[in-house]
Amino acid sequence: MTAAGRAGPAAPHRPRRAPGLAALRPGLTGLAAVAGTGLLVGALPWLSGDDPARTVLRAREVEREPDPAVLDAVREQLDLPADPVRGTLGWLGHAVTGDLGTSWVSGQPVAEVVPPALGVSLTLTGAAALAAVLLAVLLAGPALRRAADGRGDGGRAVGVLAAALAALPEFVLAVVGVAVLAVGWGLLPTSGFTGPEHLVLPVLALALPAGGLLGRVLTGAVRDIAGEGWVRSWRAAGVPRAAVQGAVARRALTVVVPQVLLLLVGTLGASAVIESVFDVPGLGRVALAAALAQDLPVVQAAVALLVLLGLAAGGVGVLVHRALLGPAGTDGGLSPELPPPAPGAGRWAAGLLAVLLLVVAAGLLRDPDAQDLTDRLAAPSWAHPLGADALGRDVLARFGAGALHSVGLALLISAVVLVVGVAAGLAGRGRAGLADVLNALPAVVVGIAVAAVAGPSLTGAVVAVCLVAWIPLAVHTRTLAAEARASGFHLAARTSGAGRWHLVRHHLLPLVLPPVSRHALLRVPHTALALAGLSFLGLGAGAESPEWGRTLADGVTYLERAPWLVAVPAAGLVLLGVAAGLVRTGR
Amino acid sequence: MSRPAPRAVGALLVLPALLAGCFAPGADAPAEGEQRLALALAFPPVAALSPFSDDAVLVTRMGVGETLVGLDEAGDPTPQLAESWARVDDRTVTLDLRAGVQFHDGTPLDAEAAAGALTAAAAASPAPRSIDGLGLTARAVDEDTVEVQLAEPDPLLLQRLAAPGLVVLAPAAYGDPAAPDPVGTGTGPFELTELRGASGATLTADADHWGGAPELDGVDVTFPADAAARTAGLRAGELDVAVNLPIAQLPTLTDTEVLSVPLPRLVSLSLDTADGPFADPGLRAAAVAAIDPQPVVDGVYEGRADVAEGLFNDDTAGGADRPAVALPPASDPAGASIRLATYSDRAELPEAAAVLAEQLRQAGFAVEVVVAEYATLETDLLAGTYDAVLASRLYLGDTGDPVGYLAADLTCAGSYNLARLCDPAVDAAVAAAADVADPQERRAAALRAEAAVLSTGAVVPVLHERTHTGYAPSVGGLATDPFDRLLLTAETTVGE
Repeated sequence: MTAAGRAGPAAPHRPRRAPGLAALRPGLTGLAAVAGTGLLVGALPWLSGDDPARTVLRAREVEREPDPAVLDAVREQLDLPADPVRGTLGWLGHAVTGDLGTSWVSGQPVAEVVPPALGVSLTLTGAAALAAVLLAVLLAGPALRRAADGRGDGGRAVGVLAAALAALPEFVLAVVGVAVLAVGWGLLPTSGFTGPEHLVLPVLALALPAGGLLGRVLTGAVRDIAGEGWVRSWRAAGVPRAAVQGAVARRALTVVVPQVLLLLVGTLGASAVIESVFDVPGLGRVALAAALAQDLPVVQAAVALLVLLGLAAGGVGVLVHRALLGPAGTDGGLSPELPPPAPGAGRWAAGLLAVLLLVVAAGLLRDPDAQDLTDRLAAPSWAHPLGADALGRDVLARFGAGALHSVGLALLISAVVLVVGVAAGLAGRGRAGLADVLNALPAVVVGIAVAAVAGPSLTGAVVAVCLVAWIPLAVHTRTLAAEARASGFHLAARTSGAGRWHLVRHHLLPLVLPPVSRHALLRVPHTALALAGLSFLGLGAGAESPEWGRTLADGVTYLERAPWLVAVPAAGLVLLGVAAGLVRTGR
Repeated sequence: MSRPAPRAVGALLVLPALLAGCFAPGADAPAEGEQRLALALAFPPVAALSPFSDDAVLVTRMGVGETLVGLDEAGDPTPQLAESWARVDDRTVTLDLRAGVQFHDGTPLDAEAAAGALTAAAAASPAPRSIDGLGLTARAVDEDTVEVQLAEPDPLLLQRLAAPGLVVLAPAAYGDPAAPDPVGTGTGPFELTELRGASGATLTADADHWGGAPELDGVDVTFPADAAARTAGLRAGELDVAVNLPIAQLPTLTDTEVLSVPLPRLVSLSLDTADGPFADPGLRAAAVAAIDPQPVVDGVYEGRADVAEGLFNDDTAGGADRPAVALPPASDPAGASIRLATYSDRAELPEAAAVLAEQLRQAGFAVEVVVAEYATLETDLLAGTYDAVLASRLYLGDTGDPVGYLAADLTCAGSYNLARLCDPAVDAAVAAAADVADPQERRAAALRAEAAVLSTGAVVPVLHERTHTGYAPSVGGLATDPFDRLLLTAETTVGE
């Protein structure tokens, strides 16, 4: 029996469509997604109100005065469409015949710019995804061994390590990696992308946080599965330990594989910062520069390719999930159970949070805005217990003042996206769709669109982050719900006439909510960073705000001269991540 | 259990490995004993090194392309591809080309080729900014004499020909006249043999260069846009020369030398004179009085910049006296609320803005600071959305002449008027300066216009920047060009 053949019976209760239409469906979805996002990109100049002639001129010549005659000359070359709809239709028409047009800025054919950059990005993110999976499996290893022995306890140290890794900012890892491994020890090249040795540092920067997150999700899944009845039965029946481990691992991987694919596609067009630090000619940088310059042909081609890849990866994720579930994915084949709560974890989380709160409280007693340039980059001392920043402002005071902003907002966003993600995941029917499209869009395109509509403000940043942050949670929910729907008790409840709400309330949510909430909490530090990541578009907190993500980004320039500028907010994020990772989400 | 599922996972994991062939093309390994220099320039090419874009400066800095005339430190024309010249009338000049110059593709530089290059530049849309809208025509008078003519009389005709956008390339480069290709078509000490997109370029010494064979055998160029990447490459010994290093990281360069060259680049605070609090001259005067550039220079720029006495630095002033500035009496800000914008593209500006904002607060203003990427800000900056703009601006342009900057940035008709200044006295002073032909007097006239500008309080000069180039101790013979156009020369060497 093939994987596809087995996937079929997973949903026998749904009405079957005409086979011709079913075959057409992925193609139509792809076309609609490309047309839709193409229109979004094509409408950017109209949304933002910035004249493309001006932005293109600026990309070509930084210092040139925008004389009306010069702008007219540029505009003539751009063959700017009269309106976004007509422009997008024309672009689609050409794209279908394989003609992607020429870049407005450089005049080079788009086909010579975007595909090579995509190849480079695929190499980088593919390797990073692979490394992240390996790291996740390593982190989940101890839990897997205990599961095969029938124990669901322990493993707190690994959990803490994974949560700490998940909270590390990629760009900090990148800069530290360059300073230590490349400049300090001379082991690796600092930048460039001409051979495999150039992969190591950027892959480490991308894979450590991602691997930590995946590892934590995987560990949680292993522990939940260890409590399922069949594990007890297998062990009682004397099934070899290795076979039990293999089966548990396979079940746990079903949760992680769709996440890895999301990560792979989501990173493709969004790692502009890492690409810039390592001078990697990838798609993230191309998309960023082109989006800022409103070089529409390049952005449209990049977005179209990413969206198609995203849809394909989303579809593959669903297929792989079904394949991994195997025959158990049919009705009544699974018996997920509520895991017993991990004892004592709550106390640890409370302890860590208390430490964090104490430092924050100490900071709140001081003035975060007082400048004193004679104290520029001053090392920690009695006057400045955690040192001073580039303008001589007290780091402890700024840490405290920034906490409320960063943590409060990140927790709020996490709560919102948890609700949205779970709702969307429960409603979703295991098909690639909107989530995959949004996930594939480069953050800068989302950011510019949001900034254009909502205006450059903190609200804009929150909206932009929310727009993408619900996706991993929705996909997680979708995978877990698919397993719960395939359970015997769900089948029993359905056949005895239980209503839809009853099924959700009593059979899906209790199984889905704890692991997905844990996942959402793990992403809190990441959300705090994402908020600051859009500040170059004018989105987010004010320029002088002591918000953690922004202080980190500003401080990273001074990494070697004043390490405390990076260490303090990074430690704050890690503490937050670890505390969030330890919070009890089970009953 | 059947096995197809693990196979599917296996296939998935192999996928990235298959794609791992996708690296950027690299430079070929150098031959044994070759003297090659590794150079990091600051910005990747935006238009495949077409000189009709900012890439023109990359072409001249790499020593690939040359212009007919050069500029000396005072901004006066010097011989380059043209050995001498004669002004026929106030809008025409004839230039005698240097004998025996060959393009890298072997074709000789003759008057036809030079005139063709200038004609292509004049026909570009838009034309390079030094000649845009001036109706430039060029024709070959004989084998080695070119006649260049403008539509109107122009005192800067020769200086305009020194702009990097007017490099003379071999006729073969103009296959696409809108985007000339400098690969193998320059005249400089180094031939551009390969351009690898935005990731790098390979240069080979031209042993037949008119100035003598270069000391170096070749150069490997990369374009890391991230300043930290350039600094790290230099510290790790991967690079011999890296340009535009950030001030924040200069103290980490312990084993390398740093060349600091003062630039004609002004960092100034433009106050919106058209509306908002700074429409009141009294409040502008209060802001001028409140701002003290010294802490910015000493703190944020760590002493690696010069406090601005006026719009122009002393090199540009050329020893001429600055006329007195007469500001209106300052009035009390009384908590007037202002928004101060700057951009993050230049690393020091956000920190400088924070310091200046604090000074304005001390004086009684309520200040909100806005920072974003320049590309997302420009429309708003020019539309007067903000009350004050902290910006960095090259004021000598492509021609070594300060009057163009004054006209574009500070007159009623100026197209880059951040202060939205429209003052009859300033307009008159700028118009008067534009008519002066003698370089010395032209500068004196520019200083009179500067005084007129400063008397309005519309612009608060803060500092003049320097450019910082890092190089390994073994490197010698780098050009120190205040116009930031030249870097590699035939004399550049790299030891062991």
